[in-house]
Amino acid sequence: MKRGRLFRLILTAIALVIPAALIVIVAFLARYSWTAIGFNGVRFLGTISWNLGNLYMNPVVRNGYHVPLGANYGILAFIVGTLFSSFLAILFALPVSIGTAVFLAEAVPRQVRPGFAMLVELVAVVPSVVFGLWGIYVLIPLIAHVFGPAITAVLGFIPFFNMGNSSGSGYGLLAAGIVLALMITPIIATTLYDALLQVPPELRESAVALGATRFEVVTKTLLPTVRLTLIGSVVLALGRALGETMAVLMVSGGALNYLPNTIFTPITTMAAFILSQLDSALQDPSEMAVKSLAEIALVLFVITLLVNASARIIVRGAARVRGV
Amino acid sequence: MRPEAKSRRNALTRFKLLPAMAAAVVAAGLGAAHAAQQVTLVETGSSLLYPLFNIWVPVFEKTHPDIRVTTQSTGSGTGIAQAISGVVQIGASDAYMSDPQIKQNKGLLNIPLAISAQAINYNLPGLNSQHLKLSGPVLAGIYTGKITKWNDPQIAKLNPGMKLPDHKIIPVHRTDGSGDTFIFSQYLSFSTPSWENSVGYGTTVSWPATSGGLGAEGNPGMVEALKQNPYSIAYIGVSFYKQVAAAKLGVAMLRNKDGKYVLPSASTISAAASQLVSKTPPDERISLVYAPGPNSYPIINYEYAIVNDHQPNKATADAVKDLLTWASTKGNAAQYLNQVEFKALPKPVLKLSEAQIAKIH
Repeated sequence: MKRGRLFRLILTAIALVIPAALIVIVAFLARYSWTAIGFNGVRFLGTISWNLGNLYMNPVVRNGYHVPLGANYGILAFIVGTLFSSFLAILFALPVSIGTAVFLAEAVPRQVRPGFAMLVELVAVVPSVVFGLWGIYVLIPLIAHVFGPAITAVLGFIPFFNMGNSSGSGYGLLAAGIVLALMITPIIATTLYDALLQVPPELRESAVALGATRFEVVTKTLLPTVRLTLIGSVVLALGRALGETMAVLMVSGGALNYLPNTIFTPITTMAAFILSQLDSALQDPSEMAVKSLAEIALVLFVITLLVNASARIIVRGAARVRGV
Repeated sequence: MRPEAKSRRNALTRFKLLPAMAAAVVAAGLGAAHAAQQVTLVETGSSLLYPLFNIWVPVFEKTHPDIRVTTQSTGSGTGIAQAISGVVQIGASDAYMSDPQIKQNKGLLNIPLAISAQAINYNLPGLNSQHLKLSGPVLAGIYTGKITKWNDPQIAKLNPGMKLPDHKIIPVHRTDGSGDTFIFSQYLSFSTPSWENSVGYGTTVSWPATSGGLGAEGNPGMVEALKQNPYSIAYIGVSFYKQVAAAKLGVAMLRNKDGKYVLPSASTISAAASQLVSKTPPDERISLVYAPGPNSYPIINYEYAIVNDHQPNKATADAVKDLLTWASTKGNAAQYLNQVEFKALPKPVLKLSEAQIAKIH
């Protein structure tokens, strides 16, 4: 009995480490960026002009804060870049992952199934910098010379899909979206594949008995059964896409001070921007630059939290509708 | 033999080995104690200086067996920050520390190790073998989006007789913090008042929003962006000249302070350096950009070692002094510098460095 209680105590302590770490990180970010939050106010979220200011002169006093001359921190462009690229990634990844999972669970002979599944899982362990390199040397020329002109030919009448309105370099929103999609596809596909294997055989058998074709079994019986798992895996994937840094930094074209006006225009995401600016921000004698970067991290955290929370609400709502 | 028995036997033999292993450990410990005089220095920072340090270190360690040097390429800002915090002994930086930084961190020394330069490269189909003439104001116009096409009258005026294409310019800039951005934006600031008043200079600047602009990561990313995009232009450190030449990109002649157009070469870089040597202050923090003189190449800079004058102990201080003295004298031999296209420090500068290195204790 005593032993059981000790065991429980140890388990509780271990389990508390993760939420504690989370709270400590958020508390640190909030405390560290506190002066930046005070100085930036709501302009931080609502403006698109980012300027570290003159780091080689003495800081000036503005609204009671010591900041470099000309410093201005607005991150709207990075928020837009982050959300757009992640949204595109989900858009591309969703059909591919569903197709992959169904193919693995339904079409591949049982004996070779583990081999195929492992191949998909292997994509998930490729380091992001490798995806970035592949993006620069393979994907970007492809977009510049093949995908870009093709999309423009079909959808060019919509300005947002016309490559003529951009530099046509291939670096940008589309490249970031495709690289991210590749990185999150295995997350969705493998989770969904595992769930499909768990579907009770009786369900499938009764569908077949009712005269359903193979296609109908998949679309009307299997996929609706694993719907909640699908939403859950998309949320996981979205979390990965929102926070991805290196691969996006390498292919996004590093936009500054403007919003994307086409799918081919350079963007910057919040995570990539923190990494690319940190080195210069370290030279700010007033430290406002580094603190503002910490504030970006805080905003990114809040966005990820909101995405997670809303997905949870969707899942709960869906469960209630089905009366589970 | 049954598995358990076998494993027991293995355990036994291992047991017999134990004394021998213990002896080996003790011997190794003694060896370490004997070599306790050995000092390990860590260098981190500038990605431009990193290749040179990797050429230097093996040679230096051969003549100084009691000193080990670890090198890292992290970026100039990180180099300065970690030298200040004391995480590393030597921070490498393409840019000197600012006045406010020096004021906050007394005792930090900026010691030049070599002279570097920067080329303006472009990818103009059919014209890459010719040297386009460009000036600070024209480059500022391109990077602010005021000059958008290659056949703009302002570019044509500098290049009479050249058939410039009627095509959009793609200006490429660095997205990461970089000494290259620092000296490029200094060239634009010193030559173009409107740039100085709106954008200024720094290791990253707030690039004006240009519709066709592009950001690239690191010098390799700049070369790749130029290669892939006809009609683009970029600023790239001369140590990447091999990659630039292999990609058959163009090199621009730049207008210097005297109004003459010059290419980056050994003679124009030394000419510019010699103009500013006499002006270099005792703490050696000075920009070499936009030097006067008819033959001076306008974008050159000192590559710095950022060092705290107070080191944790005498052995470390002596090792740092040895390394810096060796690097700025013997290390400045052409056999090392030529590999990265750097130029040697002029003699009078060495005198200043000597005085600064002597302060390390």
